[in-house]
Amino acid sequence: MKQKIVIFAGTGAILAALPLVLNAYWIDVLNNIGIYAILALSLNLIVGHTGLFNLGHAAFYAVGAYTAAILNTTCHIPVLWLLPVCGFTAGLFALLVARPIIHLRGDYLCIVTIGVGEIVRIALINDVFGITGGANGIFGVSRPSVFGFALRTPLQFFYLIWIFAGVTVILFHLLEYSRVGRALNYLREDEVAAEGSGINTARYKLIAFVLGAAWAGMAGNIYAAKMSIISPESFSFWESVLMFSIVILGGSGSIPGVLIGAFLITGLPEIFRQFASARMLIFGAAMVAMMIFRTQGLLPAGPRKYRLPPLASEGDKA
Amino acid sequence: MPKSGKLDSLRYWPRKDRVDSTGPPPFHLDQLKIVNRTKFMEQLALQLTNGLAVGGIYALIALGYTMVYGVLKLINFAHSDLFTLGAYLGFTLLASHFLTGMGPFWGTVILALMVMGMIAIVGALLDRVAYRPLRESPRLSAVVSALGASIFLQNAIMLVYGARYQVYPQDILPRMAMNILGIQVPLVRVLVLCISLAMMGGLYFFIQKTKVGTAIRAAAIDQGAARLMGIDVNRVILMVFMVGPALGGAAGLLVGLYYGQINFTMGWGYGLKAFTAAILGGIGNIPGAMLGGLLLGVIESLGAAYVSLAYKDAIAFLVLILILIFRPTGLLGERVAEKV
Amino acid sequence: MKKSLILVFAMCFIASTALAAGPIKIGLMGPMTGSWASEGQEMKQVVELLAEEVNAKGGVNGQKVEVISEDDGGDPRTAALAAQRLATLGVVAVVGTYGSAVTEATQNTYDEAKIIQIANGSTAIRLTEKNLKYFFRTCPRDDEQAKVAAATIRKLNIRKVAILHDNSTYAKGLADETKGLLGKDKSVEIVFFDALTPKEQDYTTILTKMKGANPDFVFFTGYYGEAGLLLKQKREMGWNVPFMGGDATNNPDLVKVAGKEGAAGFYFISAPLPKDLPSEEAKAFLATFSKKHGNPPGSIYSVLAGDGFRVTIAALEQAKAADSGKMADYLHSGLKDYPGLTGKISFNEKGDRVGEVYKVYRVNPEGQFILQP
Repeated sequence: MKQKIVIFAGTGAILAALPLVLNAYWIDVLNNIGIYAILALSLNLIVGHTGLFNLGHAAFYAVGAYTAAILNTTCHIPVLWLLPVCGFTAGLFALLVARPIIHLRGDYLCIVTIGVGEIVRIALINDVFGITGGANGIFGVSRPSVFGFALRTPLQFFYLIWIFAGVTVILFHLLEYSRVGRALNYLREDEVAAEGSGINTARYKLIAFVLGAAWAGMAGNIYAAKMSIISPESFSFWESVLMFSIVILGGSGSIPGVLIGAFLITGLPEIFRQFASARMLIFGAAMVAMMIFRTQGLLPAGPRKYRLPPLASEGDKA
Repeated sequence: MPKSGKLDSLRYWPRKDRVDSTGPPPFHLDQLKIVNRTKFMEQLALQLTNGLAVGGIYALIALGYTMVYGVLKLINFAHSDLFTLGAYLGFTLLASHFLTGMGPFWGTVILALMVMGMIAIVGALLDRVAYRPLRESPRLSAVVSALGASIFLQNAIMLVYGARYQVYPQDILPRMAMNILGIQVPLVRVLVLCISLAMMGGLYFFIQKTKVGTAIRAAAIDQGAARLMGIDVNRVILMVFMVGPALGGAAGLLVGLYYGQINFTMGWGYGLKAFTAAILGGIGNIPGAMLGGLLLGVIESLGAAYVSLAYKDAIAFLVLILILIFRPTGLLGERVAEKV
Repeated sequence: MKKSLILVFAMCFIASTALAAGPIKIGLMGPMTGSWASEGQEMKQVVELLAEEVNAKGGVNGQKVEVISEDDGGDPRTAALAAQRLATLGVVAVVGTYGSAVTEATQNTYDEAKIIQIANGSTAIRLTEKNLKYFFRTCPRDDEQAKVAAATIRKLNIRKVAILHDNSTYAKGLADETKGLLGKDKSVEIVFFDALTPKEQDYTTILTKMKGANPDFVFFTGYYGEAGLLLKQKREMGWNVPFMGGDATNNPDLVKVAGKEGAAGFYFISAPLPKDLPSEEAKAFLATFSKKHGNPPGSIYSVLAGDGFRVTIAALEQAKAADSGKMADYLHSGLKDYPGLTGKISFNEKGDRVGEVYKVYRVNPEGQFILQP
């Protein structure tokens, strides 16, 4: 436990110091990595911990971002106050969508989530209910302010995003070792046995799905605040693919793995900018290569460790 | 601004300014209904043929997804780019003019065989490089490898051929209209559907009646048991990775020949639809992929025509979701427990 | 080994001090990958060729010009990063980009960094309504084009018109504007207004549906790839309705896709093609470009990017230094009727290009684009 805290604090300190040596561009790259890290951590709960094949996570991200943008531009509510609202709407949407489909087997669930993602995107493009602005998207989301201090520069956003990412890491870590986290893992390893030991599988799957979606909705809020303009092309199937790749490449079910995955998947295309139009080609090849050399992901989740219970003299505890 | 729906019903009424003593007498109401009904039937029939032609192509691509899935339980996301590659290789071969002396029929057949052969080799290479090292690892790792391979192939095509649209030489397929039950249908449309159906039939025969086909089916059911029966599973997988992509490549060539215009990103759209079709029919099931493809084409076409054009793809996905809610393993998929 | 290295460094040092100042950096932001890659790559070809010409003549104010291209992937998020990158690389001006939403995601970054941005394909009206000092565009706005479209439809005496767009920002904007203008007019009714899904190949469903509405004329506001297929499939259906397109259909590939018979009679609205311009520069440039790349530029937007680059150079010459403030002032008020590749260029105080830019073209049976009187 102590070791983990040291690693977490150390990484945090290094990250906090990074802006001292980087220019605005690289700080902005780190901001993007941070947003994708939050998104991937939320997807990790669904894919990594619970084993649900979700390739439509961008839909929940979009719901959060659009909630923030619509309420901010029409009702002028400060965008960061909307953080819980965005989480709520994204979670509610996930609940409505997932309720009838959660029982689907792996790959069938995959195509349904892809379908949900596409339906949301198409609805956004077509200006559904007349509030999403169609292909134009929504512009003029006001700058977020923290204690009356308006955030503008990439550096200021850097701290906002990474503090949120840090909180996410802590909460998801606690969740992983909670009763719910154990139930989810059990479910992923063997659904039939989990059901047999009295775990309400459908309910736990829904919990994971809704929690992950709600968190993606909050990431959407931060994205809207940072960009101040959102449009449907930011929530395409491609975004879901990126998040999914981060989780699997980094190490499914492992928080440090997912963070490393976010650095690679979001950072590499920026590093490859020097190759101009060949950069995505190299990125694709790198994805295959990394997967082949680390078939379990870069930092796979190790087996769970438990402290041994104090030796009981009577055999009343198993 | 009047709504277009209102205008539709008004169209057959003569305008006030046009009714004069010399003009034709106004319509009777029942006359109008007949005009409307025949017009409606004609539209419906046309939209059905439109949907079937697209559906045939979806089905042909869906076969590749479903075959690979059946044996490896892997969604081969790079399949859509093999389809694109097929279209581009066909383009290169046609542009090189060495088939010109052979006449349109044999020329096209040889072209198709060459494209299918080349795509089969690429498919086998893809398996060797990107999937085989991942046979024993978690299933989703192979999916990410497939996504990476897809990005690689798509961008490789872009770098080799350029990002602009490429245009096939015109008029290789005959451009005539055919009269089916009083409706004018372009001949090529029927031809496209027939070619797709013939290829699917061929594949069905191959899987059901030949020895290799039997081995493929055996490996799909249980790889371990198939190995014990003396089947070289790795060769079966190689076979699957040659036949499936070859059909995808053929679909690409067909799209190029028929629509005439190809683009390096076209695989995404077709691939997603074909994958949807494979799931709709029950993934891993070959007749299911055919049925799913044709059905998806028709759903799309009718949805666009009678519900909403702009929401066409959304309607297709919505129908898929509804079907899966009531039949969780697709139309022809078998109900199997996840882990036994 | 070490000695030679030192020698190289020394030479570099001498070389760098000999050139009193480094080159003037001008950014180019465009979609080099993704769905719009063809546009971005051609923008790059055009701008780099123009930069070569400038440098061959000795550069601007005695300094060479260096073009730094960045990929925006046609996506707002990537574009925002590309803008940050260009800003940190110290460019004085940026040409681009293509999509309106993509441009919008970068406007603040450039404005805060006091970098001139000259968009080449972003026609959405609201971009210049913010009154940013450093933002300009060489393409006209959607409403300008819609005016010409509506006027053409009236001039052709059309009664029933179908409007089809593809749900992209640009096409939807143009379609909405045109619909609004025609709506005021009692003599024209809009019998069909809908969107197709871009980047598909089979549009017969849409055509069949549209034919059912029985229009006299179809205005498609999307791009040339889809327009070519629509024309080709319309002809196969045996439907002889005249079609018109917006400036995104102005591309020689349209005729290749549709076939000459399919494309014949197709109207489109566009800024004048270089071949129809009286200016010698335009013709000369077209010739050089064809010589280098084998074909003339396909997209009008890449030529508009070229114009963006040329006015930047003009502003640099006028300001005598890479001072973006002075350059912006000059572009707003000093630059009048600059002979661009796409006609005369002047900007108003909002940064919009002023003047009647659009002309109506028609495709003749040989597949050539003929300027309509």
